[in-house]
Amino acid sequence: MTSNALREVRVVGTGLIPFGKFPDQTLAEIAWPAVREAILESGVKPKEIGGVFCGTALGGMLAGQRIMKTLGISGMPIINVENACSSSSSALSLGWLSVASGQHDVVVVVGAEKLTKFGGGTLPLEREDWEVNQGMVMPALYAMRARRYMHEYGLTETQLAEVAVKAHEHGALNPNAQIKKRVSLDEVMAARPVTEPFTLWHCCPTGDGAAAVVLASADVARRLEGKDVRIAASEVTSGLYTDHFRDMTWPELTARGARGAFEMAGIGPEDVDVAEIHDAFTIAELMYYEAFGFCGRGEAYGLLKSGATSLGGSIPVNPSGGLLSRGHPIGATGVAQAVEVTRQLEGRAGAHQVEGAKVGVTHATGGGIAGLDHGACSIHVFAR
Amino acid sequence: MTADTDLLKLINPALVEAAASGPRLLGGACRACGARSFPRAAVCTDCLSIDVETLALPSEGRLYSYSVVHQAPKGWDVPYVLGYVDLPDGLRVLAHIAAPPAAIAIDQQVRLALGVVGTDAAGAPLSTYTFVPA
Repeated sequence: MTSNALREVRVVGTGLIPFGKFPDQTLAEIAWPAVREAILESGVKPKEIGGVFCGTALGGMLAGQRIMKTLGISGMPIINVENACSSSSSALSLGWLSVASGQHDVVVVVGAEKLTKFGGGTLPLEREDWEVNQGMVMPALYAMRARRYMHEYGLTETQLAEVAVKAHEHGALNPNAQIKKRVSLDEVMAARPVTEPFTLWHCCPTGDGAAAVVLASADVARRLEGKDVRIAASEVTSGLYTDHFRDMTWPELTARGARGAFEMAGIGPEDVDVAEIHDAFTIAELMYYEAFGFCGRGEAYGLLKSGATSLGGSIPVNPSGGLLSRGHPIGATGVAQAVEVTRQLEGRAGAHQVEGAKVGVTHATGGGIAGLDHGACSIHVFAR
Repeated sequence: MTADTDLLKLINPALVEAAASGPRLLGGACRACGARSFPRAAVCTDCLSIDVETLALPSEGRLYSYSVVHQAPKGWDVPYVLGYVDLPDGLRVLAHIAAPPAAIAIDQQVRLALGVVGTDAAGAPLSTYTFVPA
């Protein structure tokens, strides 16, 4: 999308609850504290909120209304968005457009999910999908990508396990992470198998969570003061359908989205200071390094091993711990990433701060659906 | 084979038929443009024609990748092996690979078979097409 006619949009408030397991709370009870935090942090008055965009994949009907009424905020258009793991990042894109286009001056975007209501195990997928009906589960899809990548590029199971170690080194520094502990390479390797070559530590945990941002026009942001983080690109794409051969070592959907987002922001991968990408499983982090152009094809493990993507490196990826450690209540992830990157650019990420970060990227993709790489992919670029 | 498969409860009978020579996967061929599909497309994804005939697909292919699945929803006999099989006509089929993991390797030739892979809600065996090392 051309940005010529669009207004600048800034993130003026952020809210996030520590991810975890809250089976005794409703979705609204899980989510309202994040929305409240974002609104209070922004300084906008509730009556200034022109619209609400709520992303949830499995939260049920009217999730946005259920959350917002808890805070007594109602009457404005509330749009509920479902796009699997990209639900709230897609909602973020709609919220961005509504401010950029001039429809609203201030909007709230919230992502919320309660996966504990399914009682654990793999994510419930749509049984109308013929592959799901033949036994497909998300960890198996990623595991097959991993197996092929290992075959083509010589990546070993031990090397793949190092992704999990790095994720939890970061997550241990993040008070909002669902898993706040380090794991050793031996622990990763010795854990119970889920879908080989993945053990439990190769997989993001099941959990609940919520996150919210307040977006505003630059005019409103100037009045609020100290709100310097703008959305430099907002991109939503869907996978390309085929029932024929697909190169599973190359995430075409993410690569295409990244190209679009970088073009819109007028930057390249070398300009990114911090990235929160969709590491639902260990192999995903490595493949997305390549799709974003942080390294060439087949070079992802080398980049990880060099320390470049760890805190203190040249391009820290998932300083929050990512999906593997912060957690992945799927509909909440996109906005949680936006909260993380905004706080990184504002220099208030605490123990997992990326020093001097000025440009950040978020990336949420997902949906297990036959014939598509993934159902959806949403990428945002933030800058100050 | 025919007598045995009559007793099998298939997960999706539209995807496979039992012929005297063995099981055959059923895909589609568009009469308008020739595009192949699996499962048989109701509407051709290349030209939007709805004139898509059922076509028996090749019974051998190459295993593109696989995973041994230890955690799955209720009803599946875990562990099981899932893989993507590339057929000579270009179609890719997700399938159970009915072989011990040690006997499975990427790029190996596999051939079609039928097998029990789980149980239905009443506890009765559920079958589907599978692939085994050729």
